[in-house]
Amino acid sequence: MSPDRPVVRIVDPRAVRVALGPAMGELDVAPIVLSPPAVPLVAAPPVAGTGVLGGVAETPALMMPPGDTADVVLVDDGPATLRFWRVDERHAVLIEGPGDGAARHPVIMLPLEPTAGPAIGLARREVVVDGWRIEVEIESERRASLRDRARRGREATAHDGPTEVRAIIPGRVVAVSIVPGDSVVAGQQLLVVEAMKMQNELRAPRDGVIASVAVGPGRTIEVGDLLLVLE
Amino acid sequence: MATSRSRSAPSLRKDGGPPFRRVLVANRGEIAVRIIRACHEAGMEVVAVYSDADAAARHVRLADAAVRIGPPPPTESYLRIDAIVEAAIASGADAIHPGYGFLAERAAFARAVEAAGLAFVGPSSTVIEALGDKLHARRLARDVGVPVVPGTLDPAAVDRPDRLVSILAEADRIGFPMLVKAAAGGGGRGMRRVATASELPAALAGGSREALSAFGDGSVYLEREIVPARHIEVQLLGDATGRVVAIGERDCSLQRRHQKLVEEAPAPGLTADERRHLHDLAVRVAAAAGLQNAATAEFLRSPDGTCSFLEVNTRLQVEHGITELVSGLDLVREQLSLAAGRPLSAEALAAASRAADPAGHAIEVRITAEDPARDFTPTPGRVRHWVMPAGPGVRVDTALEAGDRVPPEYDNLIAKIMVHAGSRAAAIDRLRRALDETEIAGVQTSLPFHRFVARDASFADATLSTGWVGERWDGPAAIRRAARLGLLAAGLDALDADQATARAVGASPLPATSVPGAASADGRWARSGRAAAGDRWPR
Repeated sequence: MSPDRPVVRIVDPRAVRVALGPAMGELDVAPIVLSPPAVPLVAAPPVAGTGVLGGVAETPALMMPPGDTADVVLVDDGPATLRFWRVDERHAVLIEGPGDGAARHPVIMLPLEPTAGPAIGLARREVVVDGWRIEVEIESERRASLRDRARRGREATAHDGPTEVRAIIPGRVVAVSIVPGDSVVAGQQLLVVEAMKMQNELRAPRDGVIASVAVGPGRTIEVGDLLLVLE
Repeated sequence: MATSRSRSAPSLRKDGGPPFRRVLVANRGEIAVRIIRACHEAGMEVVAVYSDADAAARHVRLADAAVRIGPPPPTESYLRIDAIVEAAIASGADAIHPGYGFLAERAAFARAVEAAGLAFVGPSSTVIEALGDKLHARRLARDVGVPVVPGTLDPAAVDRPDRLVSILAEADRIGFPMLVKAAAGGGGRGMRRVATASELPAALAGGSREALSAFGDGSVYLEREIVPARHIEVQLLGDATGRVVAIGERDCSLQRRHQKLVEEAPAPGLTADERRHLHDLAVRVAAAAGLQNAATAEFLRSPDGTCSFLEVNTRLQVEHGITELVSGLDLVREQLSLAAGRPLSAEALAAASRAADPAGHAIEVRITAEDPARDFTPTPGRVRHWVMPAGPGVRVDTALEAGDRVPPEYDNLIAKIMVHAGSRAAAIDRLRRALDETEIAGVQTSLPFHRFVARDASFADATLSTGWVGERWDGPAAIRRAARLGLLAAGLDALDADQATARAVGASPLPATSVPGAASADGRWARSGRAAAGDRWPR
């Protein structure tokens, strides 16, 4: 896809885009788009003695890998064999892959308060998979793709600006090693934050000049608090 | 101030009855709960102390009385010797149990407790001074012929830049890589790893600053880093007659940033003779120091089987529970009895005689509020969902419940999950099962790391070393796998929520307080998932 000729995609109105929430930081896991199969699976006539799966298995549905008995959903436009079972308000089971080789993943899913700001249409969830706490945001793919286009327009005219360095852990600032005007190199220690009795050194994310410092020693900080601005 | 609930006085037993009438527990969290349980079982009343962050904590609710000692920062609450001794006197306690951490290894605290005419449940102030000072302990071990890890025997003069040249010369003699360690230390605080001489000045300053903040004493020293090594420690008990016994050893090799993550008892792969030899080294150091009550001697074991003395912790260890599981001895109850001046109990002597031949195998994992994908950085917050494992051979020591906050001011240990079985292999099976039952949401914990350990072949082979975590664990890769599954689950949930909701996602926000699909039990994916699950789950 060339940048000057954006491909206009027909978006299934039922499709959803799921992305990691901002709290997940720098984790490089791309958002995914899920939609029901483009051609709906034909509802099988009731067969005595078989359940829903049995019915589907006997239906020569499009998009269904040969010999498979599971449900197919489109993930990023490709078919994937996935089943999802909501056990109760908190517990669910994700079954990935076809047949006997399917991997079963119990998950815990809890709602999260919406973030402040323009988050209309965005649902947030905390999903715990294999002990990992994953924050996700779900929205309509149609809406998300519109927003993407708007952002690309903005970015075309944007330029490199100052970097706001914010707290990634709550704690107490115990040492500040820089003052405004200092030149720093990537990796240089800027602050020391004490949390749970451990001292955590905050290092410069890139080369630059300290524009301002928002905290001093002794200051208690929360996640997201502005610590300093790097130019 | 103190509120008191009445509890019927327990009757005197043949062993002379409860060692004390009322015990103040100068700690918080799971260890305070653990000690309260032992006191109540032995028929003693308990006074809890708490900071404002813990006013409604479980240890406060379990105690018979509770005294507020200050605001959340430890220096203004759990580290305040005057406030705690005053609380003990005001509430009529006759003994103080310090737990671990906080004031447990401060000789000044033990001295203040002794001066107030109260019993200190732990070694005396003089023994804490002798063994708690890591440098003194190293000299003591050398004097009784116990091999020590190479390093300095005097504190490094971090506040004297003019002495830097001599420190660097000393460092060259010891050899790199080395560790800067806090003389008053423990738990990895104040510790820094130094690979080259150029890193040393910064490590000395940083380590000293952290040590000062954590222990009120900024003295640091240098010690060679022995890699690969196993960290093995010996549980010791001593009484007023001068008798010191070993109750068994623990392997604590799985560490991250010098904090233990997994411990097991006994140490795998040692012969009974090797165990006896190690126990003997530990007893020798402790006896030379005149140990009374409980302590733990720590050793590094090189691949060739050589054990070098590291330090003695003059307190109850976090991981004492696994020794209790394989020895059958209640170490906290024994501590209380010893603190009352009684000799080692018959149970303790019997456990000591079986120390080289323990009953089965126990493993503990420390569930901490730390992110194992981001180098185990702290993750304080509110626990939204909390299910701990149970069933045969499982013991959980925790003070947390769903809805509780993990405060940023204190240690990040939130639960100890221990398993006990007839063999190491069976204990690992049991651990895997127990961790699969464990459910925590709201804060990221070390749970994914522990699930990995319980399934890892090299852990099953007991190929352990203090470098194991860094070599085997790839947290970022593990969380990426989980993140993709999380995205799929959330997406399927949204698709599965009835068609109307799926269409409405763009038009109106999903209600944040209710989960779409939770109530609509007849969504397409729900139906098929249930059927599939039903097929594989016997009913």
